[in-house]
Amino acid sequence: MGPVELLHMSVFSQSFSPCGRFLAAGNNYGEIAVFSLSAALSPDASEGSQKPILNFTAHDGPVFSLLSTDTHLLSAGNGEISAWSWAELIKKSTKAAWTRKPNYETSLEIPEINAMIISPKDNSLIVGGGDNNIHIMDMETGVFKSVLKGHTDYIHCLCFKEREGEILSGGEDGAVRIWDSRTNRPVHCIEVFKYEECARPQFGKWISCLATDSDWMLCGGGPSLSLWHLRSMSPTSVFPLPGCQREAVFYQDLIMSVGEGPYVSHCLHGGTVKAQIPCSPSSLNTLALNLKNTEHRVMTVGGSSHQIDVFTNFSYRAFSLSF
Amino acid sequence: MSSDAVKKRKPKVIRSEGGTPEAKRGRGESDQEVRVYNEEVELEGRDPQQDYMLYKDTCAALAKLMAEIQELKAGGAKDGNVEIEERRRQSSVHFITLKKLNRLAHMRLKKGRDQTHEAKQRVDVLHLQLQNLLYEVMHLQKEIGKCLEFKSQHEEIELVSEEEFFQEAPAEISRPHVTRNDQHQLTLARLDWELEQRKRLAEQYKTSLASKEKIQRAIEQKREYLSSLQPGLQNIMQASLPVQEYLSMPFEHMQKQAEVARHLPPPLYVLLVQVGAYGQACDKNLSVSISGDVDEAKALSRPPDDSQDDESDSDAEEEQQNTKRRRATVGAQLDDKRKGMLRRHPLSLCVDLKCKDGSVLHLFFYYLMNLNILTVKTKVSTSADLSGAVSAGELLNTESLLNCLYASDHGKETPNPSNRYQFDKVGITTFADYVSDLGHPYVWVQKLGGLQFSSDGSQSGLRGSALSASHMERTIKLLRGRLQARLSLHKQFSSLEHSIIPVSSECQHLFPAKVISGLTRWTMMSHQEFTELGFVQHVLKAGLVHETDLFFMAVVERGTARLMAAVVLNPRYPDVSPLFSLSLLWKGERSGRSDDNLRAIESEVNVFRSELQGPRPGLQLLTNQIQRLCVCLDVYLETESQVCDGSEGPKEFPREKMCLRTARGPSRLKPFKYNHPQGFFSHR
Repeated sequence: MGPVELLHMSVFSQSFSPCGRFLAAGNNYGEIAVFSLSAALSPDASEGSQKPILNFTAHDGPVFSLLSTDTHLLSAGNGEISAWSWAELIKKSTKAAWTRKPNYETSLEIPEINAMIISPKDNSLIVGGGDNNIHIMDMETGVFKSVLKGHTDYIHCLCFKEREGEILSGGEDGAVRIWDSRTNRPVHCIEVFKYEECARPQFGKWISCLATDSDWMLCGGGPSLSLWHLRSMSPTSVFPLPGCQREAVFYQDLIMSVGEGPYVSHCLHGGTVKAQIPCSPSSLNTLALNLKNTEHRVMTVGGSSHQIDVFTNFSYRAFSLSF
Repeated sequence: MSSDAVKKRKPKVIRSEGGTPEAKRGRGESDQEVRVYNEEVELEGRDPQQDYMLYKDTCAALAKLMAEIQELKAGGAKDGNVEIEERRRQSSVHFITLKKLNRLAHMRLKKGRDQTHEAKQRVDVLHLQLQNLLYEVMHLQKEIGKCLEFKSQHEEIELVSEEEFFQEAPAEISRPHVTRNDQHQLTLARLDWELEQRKRLAEQYKTSLASKEKIQRAIEQKREYLSSLQPGLQNIMQASLPVQEYLSMPFEHMQKQAEVARHLPPPLYVLLVQVGAYGQACDKNLSVSISGDVDEAKALSRPPDDSQDDESDSDAEEEQQNTKRRRATVGAQLDDKRKGMLRRHPLSLCVDLKCKDGSVLHLFFYYLMNLNILTVKTKVSTSADLSGAVSAGELLNTESLLNCLYASDHGKETPNPSNRYQFDKVGITTFADYVSDLGHPYVWVQKLGGLQFSSDGSQSGLRGSALSASHMERTIKLLRGRLQARLSLHKQFSSLEHSIIPVSSECQHLFPAKVISGLTRWTMMSHQEFTELGFVQHVLKAGLVHETDLFFMAVVERGTARLMAAVVLNPRYPDVSPLFSLSLLWKGERSGRSDDNLRAIESEVNVFRSELQGPRPGLQLLTNQIQRLCVCLDVYLETESQVCDGSEGPKEFPREKMCLRTARGPSRLKPFKYNHPQGFFSHR
């Protein structure tokens, strides 16, 4: 990676290891870098500890999604999913445990995979991507057991409601669809851009981020980031953030979201933007919180830069890891 | 005395005081009975002490008589009184006694004196004798001394040692039976032998002198003969020149060059030899020649006494001048010192690199004697007249043509670390000020001359010719590549300024047939202007911009959309690809920082040089990059589906490019990758 390549690098996905001491990040060149958080956060950390301990090319195309199970790191490349054992990765071995492809209908262009989630109930992997469909794979057998069709344009994000066992998907067509995971049938379809409070026609109608917390749902993208009450299927608060949001999470009583613009927005449920913390990339794609490990409880964000900002105290940027 | 004579007349007394009794007796014998009275004899018989007592008595008696007379006279006695007369008679006797005593005393005195005198005389004589003898002794001693000190000339002659003498000298001279015992004879014999030897050697000397004269004359004759040959040979050489050229074996030229090359300083000599060798072996289009003043070069290597004379003369001159021009300031002296420090060797090398299209790169190599570094100046001569392209002004600028031939070799500072101390002495702070005059001291120039300084990164341990040879091929290739790159850029720039992007047939497959966006402006910028642009800060922060780079602004337009691209061109183009930074003016201003799609276009143009560089040596990189920029702008504008002001009117840019999907991935990027020959756009 020369300096010019680094200049044009974008980080699209992140995932913390099950023990919480390592961070894996994927970029637009198809590389995955594994960083040691314990080294970077230790008191005698140096410049070298902010570099990855392992950096390898995992896929042909950009790695848009990373997901960690208890033992493995799943990465989504150009239409394929690879699994890497965390234990092996920590030992710097880059052999994939398995690589599988959902069954695609189109053959001219390989669709990307934008989102992956795991349904803990039946241990299945749910992926959504460029072919407008949601594929469900059984983790044990590796068989793609079902396909959820309904979106008219590609799928940006996926979300899982544990209590009801529902899958939420947001797509380029501007619709948030709710599916029942047992019956694999669509339950609801919300077209966010049709709601005046949220709609921003100057940007577009796509939904690029989704998050749920019991009865609440966050969604945003072209339309403004808004908090929805799922029972009543109506937006309760709309957040006045200028850019298009790409990822949002619920954290304690805050909502944190990243998107266009070099900052992390902290918002309150009521609809006010509490703070906007500046960070180094000029726009952000991914936000991740390391909640598994109390020692290394950090928030990391990555975007249009080869650097990943690390927040030890969520109020300010502590340092940056770099590819 | 007459009274005495009267009184003592009876006997005729002949007093003789000093005469010999015999003589007196002789005279006395003529008288009858002469009683010889010798008072001296009597004197010897009397004791002085007794005489003294007698005198005292007599005086006392006299005094007594006088006293009696006095008494008598006082008593009234008459003059003729008998007692007085008696006493008078007695006193007269006493007087006579006294007189005799006086006489005796005188005689004693005289006798004493005589004796003393005699003794003295004797002593004097002896003394005189002593003196004479002493004088004689001294004289003799001096003579002896002189004799002993006498150095005969013969001792100054170095004689052969005794053993040698006895060995060498013939028997009649050495006469060992005599000389072994007698030093004097030995020395004489040795002197004889010396004389003999000298005579013989003198003979030999005369003969050899004569023969030397003869030989000298013979040499003179031969020399004249040779010098008469010289013009003939010259004529032959001249006549053979055309033959040499015809046969392309320029012997004479090479000989002449070799002759001049002897006066080159070592680094230039190494350079000459290596470049010549390389040119002969690998590269027929490389030639090297020496230029400059040979006489001055010879003057530099003149023997020191000549130069000392020169120095003393010039010192004298300088003194004169100094007294005349007292106003010569410290600054002027320092200036002279600086000039002296930066002096160039009078000889320089000229290396010509010819390219296939007929253009030539002339390199002039100079050697700075006091600083021990080589510098180079360049000149480009092209076969065709280069059309005036305004933006291409800097491309062939001789100052910067060879900048960064190897990465970070700027040629502004001297690579020899010891020059720093020399500069401090004469107050030169930056060598860069003198570079335009003296030439650039690039590191590769030093390496080609075999000079390696400890500040260089590599410690390869090669020196001299080995170092030069190891760098020669690569450097010549880089030089040629540089010239070709610049010339091709020159041509491309003149085309770009006319808003035509020259795409060669080999590269047509990279782009679709129809490209609507067009280049409307191509201008050059200065480094200052570049850093002031808002949308290039990320490149500056990443440290990818240097002052030695060239900066350009390209403007691509389509309809109301205007894309500004700031280009950073590294001097090592095309080894380092140009860097584009974009800013789009269309319904607002967007840059690569704010718009992910513009960033993707930047990436498309900057990162994929392997696709865009075209056929070797990759000189079409820039024009292909610009063409790709136009294509990407087309795609960008045509796939913008959002209409900002909410109206549903016809889109400004109808979709003409074939794209399978207009958005992909979380950042919804547009398809910028062109697929040939299918002709559609897809995502990377």
